[in-house]
Amino acid sequence: MLETRSLSKSFGPIQVTRNVSLKLEKGERRVILGPNGAGKTTLFNQLVGELTPDSGTIHLDGADVTALRVADRARRGLSRSYQKNTLFDGLTIAENLGLATAVALGKGQRLWSDPLQSAEVRETVREVAAMVDLAPHLDARVDSVSYGIRRQLEVGIALATRPKVILMDEPTSGVGPEMSKGFHRLLKALPRDLTILIIEHDMDLAFDVADTITVLNYGEVVFDGLPEAARGSSLLRDIYLGAWENA
Amino acid sequence: MTTDLGFWVLQTLNALQLSMLLFLLSVGLTVIFGLMHFVNLAHGSLYAFGAYIAATLSGTLGYWGGFLLAPVAVAALGAGLYFSLIRSQRRAGPMAQVLVTFGLIFVAVDATRLVWGDLPIGIAMPAILDGQIALLGVDYPLYRLFIIALGLAILAVLTLVLTRTQVGAMIRAGVDNDQMAACLGINVERMFFLVFVVGCALAGLAGAVAAPVLSVTPDMGLQILIPTLIVIVIGGLGSLRGAVAGSLIFGFVQTFGAVLLPTFSAVLIYALLAAVLVTRPEGLLPAKG
Amino acid sequence: MFTHTPLRLATLALLAAASLTYALAAGFFGLEILAEIAILAILVIALDLVAGFGGMVSLCHGALMGVGAYAFTVAANDAGLTALPAMILAVALSTALAFAIGAVCARSTGIYFIMATLAFGQMAYSFVFQSPLFGGDDGLSGAPRPDMTALGIDLSDSRTFAIYALLLVALAYAIATATLRSGLGRSLVCLHHNEKRLRALGLTVWRAKATAFAISGALAGVAGCLAAQHTQYVSPGLLSWTVSGEALVVVILGGLGTLIGPILGAILFVILKHEISSITPYWHAIVGLILIAVVMSRAQGVFGFIEARMAARKPQAQIKKVKADA
Repeated sequence: MLETRSLSKSFGPIQVTRNVSLKLEKGERRVILGPNGAGKTTLFNQLVGELTPDSGTIHLDGADVTALRVADRARRGLSRSYQKNTLFDGLTIAENLGLATAVALGKGQRLWSDPLQSAEVRETVREVAAMVDLAPHLDARVDSVSYGIRRQLEVGIALATRPKVILMDEPTSGVGPEMSKGFHRLLKALPRDLTILIIEHDMDLAFDVADTITVLNYGEVVFDGLPEAARGSSLLRDIYLGAWENA
Repeated sequence: MTTDLGFWVLQTLNALQLSMLLFLLSVGLTVIFGLMHFVNLAHGSLYAFGAYIAATLSGTLGYWGGFLLAPVAVAALGAGLYFSLIRSQRRAGPMAQVLVTFGLIFVAVDATRLVWGDLPIGIAMPAILDGQIALLGVDYPLYRLFIIALGLAILAVLTLVLTRTQVGAMIRAGVDNDQMAACLGINVERMFFLVFVVGCALAGLAGAVAAPVLSVTPDMGLQILIPTLIVIVIGGLGSLRGAVAGSLIFGFVQTFGAVLLPTFSAVLIYALLAAVLVTRPEGLLPAKG
Repeated sequence: MFTHTPLRLATLALLAAASLTYALAAGFFGLEILAEIAILAILVIALDLVAGFGGMVSLCHGALMGVGAYAFTVAANDAGLTALPAMILAVALSTALAFAIGAVCARSTGIYFIMATLAFGQMAYSFVFQSPLFGGDDGLSGAPRPDMTALGIDLSDSRTFAIYALLLVALAYAIATATLRSGLGRSLVCLHHNEKRLRALGLTVWRAKATAFAISGALAGVAGCLAAQHTQYVSPGLLSWTVSGEALVVVILGGLGTLIGPILGAILFVILKHEISSITPYWHAIVGLILIAVVMSRAQGVFGFIEARMAARKPQAQIKKVKADA
């Protein structure tokens, strides 16, 4: 469903992505781990199209999308949530989800009638809100809700486009341990035909949610496989310098 | 005609002259923006003041009196503007800056009309530069060569200052990251003031220099503002090289366009602007590439 | 998202009533002023649409209006079209030009955008000024008013013309609010703050911006046609940067992003202009000083100020809401 072949990217003399080849099957849940600066977000930026790789290709649902722009890839079913909340602050949560849905349905440029009032959009908003536990907060304005709820919305917006593949960049970043557990539940309850790629630092989430784990270090893939295999690997322990003690 | 070497020499010199004039204006504006993130739309008005003051002073002190004192006067005016308006609006965001300096343009135009009237005023060329010189097969006005030489000299001085002196290094650091520069102990406020005043002085100098060849009218500020803005948008905000590149591109496209493609010449530079905006919106050689 | 709060509805009703009453009661000079206000009102509605809601501050709207005015005059005089088809053509032209400018400048933001629009506005001005087709500095005269005698309406009568102008203002306002409520309008408002996300959701950002700018250009074109019909004479001055600047001043003065504020601003501005111009020829300096004062005081314009004061009187509702979500 989502594949990269020998993806590489440098910023001057610094190579941030080295020959990264990944393959995700439909419905797979993969977590990307790696220390800060390993190039995880840069990889995401290339997958989404915000950054152009120096070499290598990206394939979405069998098609080569390397040359496609951000909006084009989005319309083909690629969605992303950001590490830093990138929400539509002046609107309510329902409006945020509604706008995302409307844009994905191609109604973002319509000149007549408000797409957020359409039955189709409202139905989708209800469904997505249920997926991310936002149903009780739909009419609240974004700037009036807590950080945790905003984080849920961050993922919600990405889901509202009904993507085939969703990339989540540290979805539980800044969220307390209780909310984090809630997120695990949320992620595991997502539709099984959705392919999910998550960047995370939270080991618990990685082992709880992931079908497979990829570890990046200095821009290259140093491990790619099942969570159980990762657990016993000394290479990973070295990279994280003891962060694995409780895993 | 186009095979005549003389034609090419003449047009090249004309293009260079226009480029140098625009350079004097754009370099101040672009470095001020790069450093202070402040766009002073009234920059053209400062140029106009320079021209008017030079014209007025030349009556009693001769051309060179005006030439030397106009930049000083405009620098003083700039200092006044800095303390009254610019400093407070610096952090107010681009829209506020645009509006405030746009308002200044309105005020400046009427102020010049009030003091000097609506009709163009004249300024006599200095006797020593009044005449032509034979150069590469053409007779070219000495004064226009002077403009080119002056522009090149200022470019040399600025390049030297920015690359070889400590002040220059501090300015470049400030352009890169003014908060970090302040943390390093650089007196950023004083630097901003200095750069702003020097930028104003250059604008005034450009006005004084342009006065004998262009007409001195209340509208001249805006007439030159648009080309200056096009120069810095094409060249890239914040860098000396950008100002040079933009000025040369504008000067040559405008000059050669006017003689080779007269019907399109008016829109040619705008087509170029459009092309740059679509392909490289930050300009060709911005300070932060 | 543009909603009609009670305050806005009340203000609109007041404006409609007042302007209609004035139109029926005023003498010749008053009607001329009313028409002038209407023309400016349409232009500033157009500008506020993109500048106040979309964050695309433009200094070329005077030029767009001028393009409409000239296109109308040339179409009616030289191409022999009657007024209505000429208007359609003129508006189509200003729309197309606005779309082009919006598309070209779509990747520019903030100050770059403003400078670029200023440059393109000046391009239009130079083009019109230098072209022999448009009469240069002398301008063109003879633009006709629409012939509505079939409906029993005579637009050569000042009073009828003023009411016609007011109706066009209402139309412009309706189009602007409809746009803001549409999918495009929602995208436009969010583009201002979060372009990246919208792009990542699949929106073709440049086209959304260009389309919004085009609609704004259409309204500016309508203002231009009305201007041409009013004085039945056009000159290059219509496209000058001063007109664009004044439009921006009016929007700021009235209240950026309120749509109604600029209309109030237009009324204030035209009246002020006539009063001050009769005292001094240095009206532009006053405009400049007003602009500087408004910006430096960080006020949100007349209407923006009123709305803020009214909102400040309702803190209880907001506190309750926050508590409910905690």
